[in-house]
Amino acid sequence: MSALLEVRDVAFAYPRPERRRARRFAFAGMSFSVEVGEVFGIIGPNSAGKTSLLRLLTRVLTPARGEILLDGRPVGSLAHWALAREVAVVPQEAPRPFPFTVEQLVMMGRFPHAPARFFETAEDAAVAREAMAATDTLALAALPLEELSGGERQRAMLARALAQQPRLLVLDEPTSHLDLRYQAETAQLLRRLNGERGVTILLVSHDLNLAAELCDRLLLLHEGRVARVGTPGEVLEPSLLERVFECRVVVDKTTSGRPTVQLAWPAERR
Amino acid sequence: MTDRRRLAWALALLIALLVVIAVAALFVGSAALSPRAVARALAGRAERESVEAIVTLGLRLPRVLVAVLAGGALAVAGVAFQGLTRNPLAEPSVLGVTSGAAFGVVLAQILGLGAGVADAVAVAAFAFGGALLAAVSVYVIAASPGGLAIQTLLLAGVIVGIFFSAAITVVISIVDFNRLGGVIHWLLGNLAPVPAGSLTVFAVLAGAGFVLVLRSARQLNLLALGEEAALQLGVDAERLKRRVFLAAALLTGTVVAFTGPIGFVGLIVPHVLRGLVGHDNRLLVPTALVGGGAFLLAADTLARNIVAPAELSVGVITAFCGAPFFVWVLRGRALRVA
Amino acid sequence: MSIALALVLALVLPRPAGAAIVQDMLGRDVALAAPPTRIVSLVPSVTESVYALGGQARLVGRSDWCDYPPAAREKPSVGGMINPSIEMIVALTPDLVVATDEGNREETIVQLRRLGIPTYLVHAHRVEQMLDMVTRVAALIERRDAAAPLVASIRQRIESVRARVAPLPAPRVLYVLWPEPLIVPGRTSHLTELIELAGGRSITAGEGDSYVRFSLEAAVARAPEVIVLADHSASGTAAGRQSPEKWQRLASVPAIKAGRLHSIDLSILHRYGPRVADGLELLARIIHPEAFR
Repeated sequence: MSALLEVRDVAFAYPRPERRRARRFAFAGMSFSVEVGEVFGIIGPNSAGKTSLLRLLTRVLTPARGEILLDGRPVGSLAHWALAREVAVVPQEAPRPFPFTVEQLVMMGRFPHAPARFFETAEDAAVAREAMAATDTLALAALPLEELSGGERQRAMLARALAQQPRLLVLDEPTSHLDLRYQAETAQLLRRLNGERGVTILLVSHDLNLAAELCDRLLLLHEGRVARVGTPGEVLEPSLLERVFECRVVVDKTTSGRPTVQLAWPAERR
Repeated sequence: MTDRRRLAWALALLIALLVVIAVAALFVGSAALSPRAVARALAGRAERESVEAIVTLGLRLPRVLVAVLAGGALAVAGVAFQGLTRNPLAEPSVLGVTSGAAFGVVLAQILGLGAGVADAVAVAAFAFGGALLAAVSVYVIAASPGGLAIQTLLLAGVIVGIFFSAAITVVISIVDFNRLGGVIHWLLGNLAPVPAGSLTVFAVLAGAGFVLVLRSARQLNLLALGEEAALQLGVDAERLKRRVFLAAALLTGTVVAFTGPIGFVGLIVPHVLRGLVGHDNRLLVPTALVGGGAFLLAADTLARNIVAPAELSVGVITAFCGAPFFVWVLRGRALRVA
Repeated sequence: MSIALALVLALVLPRPAGAAIVQDMLGRDVALAAPPTRIVSLVPSVTESVYALGGQARLVGRSDWCDYPPAAREKPSVGGMINPSIEMIVALTPDLVVATDEGNREETIVQLRRLGIPTYLVHAHRVEQMLDMVTRVAALIERRDAAAPLVASIRQRIESVRARVAPLPAPRVLYVLWPEPLIVPGRTSHLTELIELAGGRSITAGEGDSYVRFSLEAAVARAPEVIVLADHSASGTAAGRQSPEKWQRLASVPAIKAGRLHSIDLSILHRYGPRVADGLELLARIIHPEAFR
């Protein structure tokens, strides 16, 4: 198995902010890789840099040092639309305001494949329909995005990403706004996409248990550094977690054999 | 129905509407010409120096062309600003861009530029500069890390508009007080028959702006996803914004250079068209060109005839339509967001 | 009770000698403690009248636009007609300010009144009113003797113009105050009267009020035989001069066919002062050149 995405010694810092913030972090020098066909999760405390890492991977930001390679090619050498043919991002939230229908949204995902064209082709329409079918949103095609429920919106956004026909699907907090049922649905959908279509998935989540359940490998990010990379069992280790998250935890096993993390609540509540 | 077909239908409908209004505009006027006289003039069978020929071909026809061009350009500028700011209330006059352009024109006139063809390009350049200055000011005032907040944008537009209007008054009062009365009328918009040479300049400039916006239409759609998401899809958001900004300023400046500031066309027309063709800018931009022309032509025909033989400024009609329209859209949004 | 007493006293107590209450041209009372010797004029035609009557020694201040005769420019200016500096007016310690309701702002006048400065309003947009204004100004500056001959000479010149053009048929005249948008004198404008006196008939004489934004095609349809363009350039930029090319295109108009497209200096014709006879003669020469050979 070869690495689809390789991060080599990447360093990055935000330019000095106008307003003082308690912490303005930087990456000191990160290295890791994501294998083809795996489900890779990035976890860590808030402001550890998860979203910034995503921005570096998708070329929204440029690293100060080091390289990011997609299939051996530096990400910086690709035009944005060329990169978009390989990497699709599902953002945390649907954009607001957004007056378009689900179908129009999904069709936007076809842009990178023919950026110079004015109208989309019948082929584009077919790919879009297929993406909607895969995410169970075909019935919602004519509805405005703003009229959908949270879970439906998330699936529509996922359909748009799929319409890009990417090799790497990146999700930013895929379940943060969803209730339990939609969380389960999303997880199932992602597993199916990975299994049936072989889409490599990279997800960023603060939900440790979702990450543990879904991912083949995890990366624990702490203050801009890789604290550990490995299987969920290797990464979700109580003493490591306690150091990174600065609280007491208990790690158990779920019915599927994956680790599950819980806060160790104090015995007395007074 | 595919996008292409919907566009074709909408355009056909609007062109038909435009033709009807244009015919009405040619046959109705304060010179009290009989329909037969007008028809004769249009067919080229009237004497070159007869009243009907002069009025129909020398006054009404050029005025119809100016109205169509100006209305189309303003409507397209409205679509452009709305796509850029993701705000259906954004349009050249609301954002103070027409005031900036008007200031440019007044400056040009103070410097002695007149109405000949060569001067027309220079005046348009001044107007473009003024429009750009106003647009950039609004953008700089209203931009924040979270994007362009609606309220801030509208407020910034009002402030910039007031500023340039005041600047115009000051300049005129100091330099040439006698002109103040005439200029105040001009500031409400003035569709006058423009001679053929200048009309060509107008058409070329407006056409350039239109093409620029049209080519960016698909990418403008993607901008609705947010700049970061658009970038991740392959849209160069910065260049897109700059391109569309320039095009919208060019369109606005060109119109103001030839007709004085006219407001609300870029607000009303795109909004109505969205009900007809949806939010896709690829459909909105071409239909706005035709629909805007039809709208302004209708407004001008009304302005020309309602108190005949005196005339109203066309800006009065558009403002009377536009202000309540603005409130209606604003309320609609407020209710929905709340 | 005390108010009533004060009123009675005010009516009964003798006034100082020379004091008077005069009525200005709007019918308002203006109380003068003595014949004014320090006058600020905010009206160009009044300034012209003062000089024509020889009373300029009593003029201590003028507006920016009071530029005729040239000697008037040596008097200190208190600012524009719309926005004069009240401070400067006060600093000149005038005992009378002359203003007009057509050109000066109501606010300025109210402020002056509030400050206790006697303010005399003039209002002239007919020849008779203008002549009356000259007479009144003469009374104010105590040059009544100079008034009669001045008024008489103006009247005589007007009469002579009228006599010359009376037997001739009156051509249709279009007076263009402003070309784009087209602004023309209406029913109550003094220009309409002047055109009539000059032996013409303004095609917009029956429209609206003083100034009307008019339809170009209606003007064309009324086939004027003479077109007069008001030239604004004397007072400002080159842009104030109207370009005749735009009018040349209107080939159906008799005035264009006959080449009777003329410019006239705005400042002479638009100030209704002693030079009105000059303006009238100019206008009459344009409208009836055959009467002045």
